Amino acid sequence: MDDDEAITRALGGDLAAYEVLVARYSALAHRTAAMLGAGDETEDVVQEAFVKAFRHLASFRRDAPFRPWLLRIVANETHNLTRSRGRRSELVLRLGSAASDGRAPDDPERAALAGDRRSRLLAAVRRLPERERQAVICRYFLQLSEAETAQVLDWPVGTVKSSTHRGLARLREEVGDELG
Amino acid sequence: MSSDEPFDGLEAELTALGDLVDVPTPPPPDVAAAVRARLASDLPASADAPAVPEAPADPAQGPDPAHRPQPAPRRRRRWTIVAAVLAVVIAITAATPQGRAAVARILRFAGIELQLGDAPPAPVITTAPLPGEHSVPPGETAGQAGFPVKTLSALGPAQHVTVADGGRVVSMFWTDDIRLDQFDGGIDPVFFKRLGPPMPDYAKVGPYAAWWLPGTHPLGYISRQDGTQVPLRQAGPTLIWQQSGLNYRLEGMASKEEAIRVAGSLR
Repeated sequence: MDDDEAITRALGGDLAAYEVLVARYSALAHRTAAMLGAGDETEDVVQEAFVKAFRHLASFRRDAPFRPWLLRIVANETHNLTRSRGRRSELVLRLGSAASDGRAPDDPERAALAGDRRSRLLAAVRRLPERERQAVICRYFLQLSEAETAQVLDWPVGTVKSSTHRGLARLREEVGDELG
Repeated sequence: MSSDEPFDGLEAELTALGDLVDVPTPPPPDVAAAVRARLASDLPASADAPAVPEAPADPAQGPDPAHRPQPAPRRRRRWTIVAAVLAVVIAITAATPQGRAAVARILRFAGIELQLGDAPPAPVITTAPLPGEHSVPPGETAGQAGFPVKTLSALGPAQHVTVADGGRVVSMFWTDDIRLDQFDGGIDPVFFKRLGPPMPDYAKVGPYAAWWLPGTHPLGYISRQDGTQVPLRQAGPTLIWQQSGLNYRLEGMASKEEAIRVAGSLR
């Protein structure tokens, strides 16, 4: 069942069809909420977003893709949460230790260097000003297009471009351009 | 998306880094069941009541949940107690094979789950098509795929093109068993490959990280509905890489160098 058919059935009140959509987009929705700063309330945010998406399904434009429409609701819920907490949304990231262990096909020294580079890049992303960070996360971590990012964050495309550009420039300043 | 320029080194690096960020999530069926339970309890009891009680006046406006009245108090539920961190798991994680000693490592890259074992896996002797795979006239893929479709200019026009699984995968075929699969699977892997020695070899397609899989190996498809793994066929040597948020696998080139050269002609 593709998205369109699932939406048609869900609009008719078929909850099983909507379950298919929820399951399909669950991982992406969790990823989006967590990366935009929902923290340990990610699961609640996602559940709330799916409930709201169902209630507003009639407002979904059928000629548009479902993914950015849903992710905008997820981003909106995350924003409401972080605003209600009254503090800057925290993106807590931790580097795993699996980078250099065992039989990495790459050579260990190179893997360790790459791991260090990843930690520094991740830390630099975390320190970006909020808008630049959101743009960078949507464009690269979530791999959304500029147009999708604009829809999800409810910004003009020009703002997405400029925030991404500034964020990249800042990251370049902090960690350099190329993996050594 | 025409507004999206080709990625430079840092952008490619960020994309790769994002793939390594592992967000703990409950099993999708559990989420679906929890959402359904909430919706079912919210729906009016009478059978003829509308399933969608509120529709915004202006459909073009899109959703704006923040400014709508709440039909029910927020009921927050926990499925699991999760740590308040996103663990970044670097691509090669130690799998704990239970009962099957074959898989020693799982590497997820470019929308493909590589299941690495100590010994060459038993070959697949059957072949199966991708779900919903159908032929499309070359050049008419635009409306059918969920992403911008590219081709390999070094190989000339493809002789045959298919689209599968509702636009999730586009495959192009040339003579001599050469094929290019392109797919959008940044979050969940789309294919799996079972590999033994010879092990994958790190490569680069321009600025993009890639892996060369030198041996023939079982290839399968991971259903997007429920993650079921469906065996497809025994694949030949393949180059896999990720570029501008999309995933590519090029199969059938004679050598790693040749595969990298052809992959560099993606337009």
